[in-house]
Amino acid sequence: MEKKFGVYICTGCGIGETVNIEKLKKKSARVSKIEADNIRVHQILCSPEGLEVIKNDIKEGVNTIIIGACSPRVKFEEFDFPGAIVERVNLREFVAWTQEPMTDDTQSLADDYMMMGIIKTQKGSLPEPNILQDLSNTILVIGGGMAGLSASLEAAKAGYQVVLVEKEAELGGMAAKLYKETPRQYPYDQLEEPRIFNIIKEVESNPNIKVLKSSMIEKTDGQPGLLDVTIRNNGNSETMRVGAVIMAAGWKPYDASKLGHLGYGKPNVITSVQMEEMAKKGKITRPSDGKEAKKVAFIQCAGSRDSNHLPYCSSFCCGTSLKQAKYVREKNEDAIAMIFYKDIRTPGQTELFYKNMQNDAGVLLTKAEVTGVNDAGNDNLYIEAENTLLGEKIKVEADLVVLATGIVPATRASQEYLDGLTEAQKKGDDAKKAYIESTPKPEFILNLTYRQGPELPSLEGAYGFADSNFICFQYETRRTGIYAAGCVRQPMTMSDAAEDAAGAALKAIQCVEHVAKGIAVHPRAWDATFPDPLMIKCTSCKRCTEECPFGAIDEDEKGTPFYRINRCRRCGTCMGACPERIVSFKDFSVDIVGSMIKSIESEEDEFRIIVLACENDAYPAIDSAAIKRQRLNPKARIIPVRCLGSTNLVWVTDAFSKGIDGLMLLGCKYGENYQCHFVKGSELANYRFSKVKETLDKLQLESERCQLVQVAISEYDQIPKMINDFVERVEEIGPNPFKGM
Amino acid sequence: MAEATVIKPDLDFVKGVIEGGGDSLKKCYQCATCTVVCNVTPEDHPFPRKEMVWAQWGLKEKFAGNPDVWLCHQCNDCTAHCPRGAKPGEVLGAIRKQTIKQYSSPSFLANLVSSKGLVWLVFLIPALLLGAILSVDGTFIPNEEEIKFSYFAPTLTIQAVFVPALTFGLLVGVLGLMKFWADMKKAAGVTSGDLGGSISATAKEILSHVKFKSCGVSADRFTSHFLVFYSFVMLGIATALGVLYIDIMHMESPFRFGYGTPVKIFGLIGAIGLLAGVFLMISNRFKNAEKVGIGSYFDWLLITIVGVIMASGILSWVMRVAGIAGVAYTVYFIHLVFVLSLFLYLPYSKLAHMFYRSAAICFLKYSGREKK
Amino acid sequence: MSEQQKTVLVVGGGFSGLTAAVETAEAGFNVVIIEKTPFLGGRVTQLNKYFPKLCPPNCGLEINFKRIKNSGDISFYTLAEVEKISGQEGNYDVTIKQNPRFVNDKCVGCNACNEACPVEMPNEFNFGLDKTKAAYITHNQAFPFKYVLDSKNCKGKSCAKCVEACKYDAINLDMKPEAVNLKVGAIVFATGWDLYDVTKLDLLGGGKIKNVITNMQMERLASPNGPTSGKILRPSDNKEVNNIAFVQCAGSRDENHLPYCSYICCMASLKQATYLREQYPDSKVQIFYIDIRTPGRYEQFYWKVKEDPNVTLTKGKVAKVEEDPATGDVLLTVEDVLLGKKITAKFDMVVLAAGMVPSTRTSKIPTDISYTNDGFVVPASLKKGMFAVGTLKSPVDVSRSVQDATGVAIKSIQSVRRSI
Repeated sequence: MEKKFGVYICTGCGIGETVNIEKLKKKSARVSKIEADNIRVHQILCSPEGLEVIKNDIKEGVNTIIIGACSPRVKFEEFDFPGAIVERVNLREFVAWTQEPMTDDTQSLADDYMMMGIIKTQKGSLPEPNILQDLSNTILVIGGGMAGLSASLEAAKAGYQVVLVEKEAELGGMAAKLYKETPRQYPYDQLEEPRIFNIIKEVESNPNIKVLKSSMIEKTDGQPGLLDVTIRNNGNSETMRVGAVIMAAGWKPYDASKLGHLGYGKPNVITSVQMEEMAKKGKITRPSDGKEAKKVAFIQCAGSRDSNHLPYCSSFCCGTSLKQAKYVREKNEDAIAMIFYKDIRTPGQTELFYKNMQNDAGVLLTKAEVTGVNDAGNDNLYIEAENTLLGEKIKVEADLVVLATGIVPATRASQEYLDGLTEAQKKGDDAKKAYIESTPKPEFILNLTYRQGPELPSLEGAYGFADSNFICFQYETRRTGIYAAGCVRQPMTMSDAAEDAAGAALKAIQCVEHVAKGIAVHPRAWDATFPDPLMIKCTSCKRCTEECPFGAIDEDEKGTPFYRINRCRRCGTCMGACPERIVSFKDFSVDIVGSMIKSIESEEDEFRIIVLACENDAYPAIDSAAIKRQRLNPKARIIPVRCLGSTNLVWVTDAFSKGIDGLMLLGCKYGENYQCHFVKGSELANYRFSKVKETLDKLQLESERCQLVQVAISEYDQIPKMINDFVERVEEIGPNPFKGM
Repeated sequence: MAEATVIKPDLDFVKGVIEGGGDSLKKCYQCATCTVVCNVTPEDHPFPRKEMVWAQWGLKEKFAGNPDVWLCHQCNDCTAHCPRGAKPGEVLGAIRKQTIKQYSSPSFLANLVSSKGLVWLVFLIPALLLGAILSVDGTFIPNEEEIKFSYFAPTLTIQAVFVPALTFGLLVGVLGLMKFWADMKKAAGVTSGDLGGSISATAKEILSHVKFKSCGVSADRFTSHFLVFYSFVMLGIATALGVLYIDIMHMESPFRFGYGTPVKIFGLIGAIGLLAGVFLMISNRFKNAEKVGIGSYFDWLLITIVGVIMASGILSWVMRVAGIAGVAYTVYFIHLVFVLSLFLYLPYSKLAHMFYRSAAICFLKYSGREKK
Repeated sequence: MSEQQKTVLVVGGGFSGLTAAVETAEAGFNVVIIEKTPFLGGRVTQLNKYFPKLCPPNCGLEINFKRIKNSGDISFYTLAEVEKISGQEGNYDVTIKQNPRFVNDKCVGCNACNEACPVEMPNEFNFGLDKTKAAYITHNQAFPFKYVLDSKNCKGKSCAKCVEACKYDAINLDMKPEAVNLKVGAIVFATGWDLYDVTKLDLLGGGKIKNVITNMQMERLASPNGPTSGKILRPSDNKEVNNIAFVQCAGSRDENHLPYCSYICCMASLKQATYLREQYPDSKVQIFYIDIRTPGRYEQFYWKVKEDPNVTLTKGKVAKVEEDPATGDVLLTVEDVLLGKKITAKFDMVVLAAGMVPSTRTSKIPTDISYTNDGFVVPASLKKGMFAVGTLKSPVDVSRSVQDATGVAIKSIQSVRRSI
């Protein structure tokens, strides 16, 4: 496409009163090689009359449009010109609303912003989607329990082919073991018959669903749309292509043998899972002598909410024990069920179930810390507890004890194994070898052939739950196209798992639809650009393969990275990581940003600071400060980046060699409660820039000239100070000695 | 650290409370709103939250010698504000009923009075008893023209039946009270105290009805209980004076027809007061029914007995004045049956609270717990 | 399939509705959002931070607004309500009442109308903690970033000061309510929730005692875009708050008010405890509860807050709240259940952890739907092709709303596909 430029400046919203437009035109003309007279100025560019000016030019062939007006966050419908390259230069928020009017500083700031906008369009080009061939839109579901079955049905009903893989010989998982279910429908206070068997029937008779029982995933290779999955079934292996995966491998009860302090191991101490099985068979009896149990004690949080065992709440055990107390009472009206709880957790409508279940003469409840379960003769047991509602330490006899054991996600074993492996690896190859030899390898679920490991990464402190730690975007994992559902994600009830599965199924569908169009998935779900590395210049340093938060880059046998584009989320972390600067997007590259930086004129007597701002949070925060008409430091030039992860160290050199005095990175919080939309971007930037000293040393510059500051979108009111503080520090260091060279 | 107390849940006790008017017992989820809104509870050992959980667990031993359930004046603020509809006020009433049952012997009488299903028997027994006695002395069908109740039930016969009945009731009640007192001392580990002072302070508290004044939702309970209480006292005095006049001083009955003696007027005021008090109690219960519940069988049994006594007393008098002999005598008979019931069942009915509540209030002062 | 059949209508532009909309659109379908208020974002725009990450809600909202801006498949109406629904799955006719904004698309968000407006009114966005003008925008990250004239309070043409002040010809006092007809394949109801009216909690002094506020007011007090720019000051005298109590289950789990558990309040109070602790290092927090409900991994957040020695958790429901008229302090009475003692304690300020009420308790959806006694939608009663999300069915938090809304997106897609 041959670019024909059109430059437009709006003088409304105070721009005209803050900046000398004639001077700005001249400056812009020089860069854009458009005659100053042909730069169009309008007093309200977003008005129908103003837009008409642009549209007329488009008719005349203008296809590359630079608009110096308000923030791109507003008037997006007005300034939407499909088919054209459009660059919005934020003269209103970054200049008119935040600067002293008509000063030299302000003028030069506006000049720089216009210039950078023009350069960006000169260097950039229109995106063209990269659509791979032979894509599959089949959804693979791993796990045939409530979540997996529900996900399969939802996807099939939406018109997609589904392959369901279940490890066991029968479908149903944990749900098939239940005698009754806690309520899932209005009036939310009655036990319900298990529905799993109807769902199994529905799945097995659905023509869109292929069910593979007694099957395991041996290998998952490729990328969304092109995932080649090898499934082992009865000793045979078969490879099939799928588009996306829903991982619903479920959970296991916590290993009760670790609960000796609660009496497990004694004949009449059982788990809640054993209780379900017993209730399903008939009477509630004592394992020791087969006699009907008359005094049944339920101990809640058996393992859960316990720093020695599971530091989380397993979410459904309170409901389960209330339900099982009802079993005890229904099967024998002379029996009592005693529930010892830390807190009764029946959130939402489940409260109505609690209310109904407790209203029974023989269901006895107390808050308690159970301190021991001891023999009381005749295989009966004494429950000892303190901090009870009864006002004292108590000891009560039971003839059967049920431990409400918590959940452990099916992903935990492999996660622990892999974490151990990583630790061993850090100690060297010998330690790694010793680890592999000495540690029994658990069954893996996905067996990905990815460079970054065979399973879904889980976060530190997530106890094996495959969770991405987003509140707003529940299904985001770090493996594009693989979505976790049910108890591998969070402890949840069966009804919640079914609901959760529906969401995961939708995300899987979006993924196959987006790769078919060659565009990204969340959070840049509209983006048709993609990283296009110039591979001949690659040195195989592998920084990109290591750093990509989504494991999108594998290595071939020779160790050369190669991109699995459909796994890519377009954050640009690889672009930031690459020391050879070979990774580019059509509208975002090391060169584009570098050129923008280099275009900034820095006279000897002027301080110039560059702020690389994350466009997701930091940029809107600056806009918000502007809306409040807070003053921004006129020495700072803000350049948006896709994610701080995309900042390349070469920009440091670009900036400082050009005489820029300081470089500030403004991005999302990282760490345990990270807010980075690409999970690791800002953290990686921080890591990279902690090593920037080397670069600066080479230039004989102070490392304090470069700083990363974490900011949340809500902290807009602190941004002016953050920038001022940084400018002050740099001013204290003194001007960049390269200035004017 | 203190040794653990072995507790023994008793399902039958739980069922007993549930069936005895505490059917909402198991709804309690121990939020303790009740304790906070209660204006009569002590701060230190507050009720009724802990009583609710004890009762839920069927810990009947916790109620032996427990004065707290008797400190409750059934204001029902707890019930009105209970977020779960557990009606602690009603449950405590049911627990008190269990305690009354426990302390009053013989137990068959206690069971009789507390069982809703046996309500017919409750009144049939005194009716048969009285009927038999009146048949034996031959006055059952008076043949005089003038309507005079002493023709039907001669004073002597009445005294021969009612004095022993009242004595029996009081005796059983006092025996229960003594057992209860001993249990309270044992439970609290109290061995001595100022009994005389405690009794006089208790009397002051009861006579002033001071606790009732702190009721919230059913603040009008003060008026109704006050009226009923003092009317009863007045009627008791009037009756005693009657006995004094007739039997000891051998004077004419102060209640004789057509005369307005001071004793009679005094009694009449008491009667009107009682009628008004009972009427207020009933109307308050209906008025507050939505907030605090209508009350249990046990409550209504007592209200019914007192109510019928009053209604039948007045109606029989009206009939006598109107000269309708058949109705007058029949109603009078009913009147006597209910008075007899009141006396006989004194230690088994809700009226027994006069023993236990007084004892509990007294014990609090005696043990020194109240001062805290 | 025709475009209208492929269209899903989402009623409610809160986080559930936005999620349902963008997720549906990104799966390749057209979506129309209608929102009753002048702005999208709903309740979460009023929150300072989310639990358990303590991250700002506008972060996720910004991304979702960006998804809307960049998607050609989503359109939205603000100040709009559903008036009538007829038809069936795949072919619903919906009549929408578009209420006037009195501000047109020419608005640039310059604030001149607000400065010119002489009418002050209680700021509903801040739950009445301060005042705003009748020409207003709720906060500086509001979307769409377009001012609105409050139809109830604006004096209209008799004043018209804003019209003079606006340089962009963006104010039109002649706007009238309009009917808009839409044809859609499926309908998602995501009309959200309201806070329980605490003035009904007579024991807790709600609405009567100045320094007894609701949990939502606490969010506004702590928000940088709130009435105190994020500084937690008590309403009676703007004094710093050094000693605060949280009253859990203020209305919830109470059959005299809301019989269900409102799910979010335990986590919300624990979160708000961190607001205060962060602002005032010497401050003390006491939380009075019946049960602490922090399901799943939220437990870790509970532990973290509990570890702070200045945070005390006491089991016992507060049932008496009184004002000390001399100081404005608040006295609470509670039974410390584990101690078995009735205690009264004094605080600078008290937060009522008020419960959640479905919007359908007061405003019913104009179609044949059954509701629970508490006004929640009974899901089984919804016609084919109609779905209810999040807090319309049961109290849930943001993450569960997102989960549910994403799930509903696939169901509406199925619905649309089914009817082709």
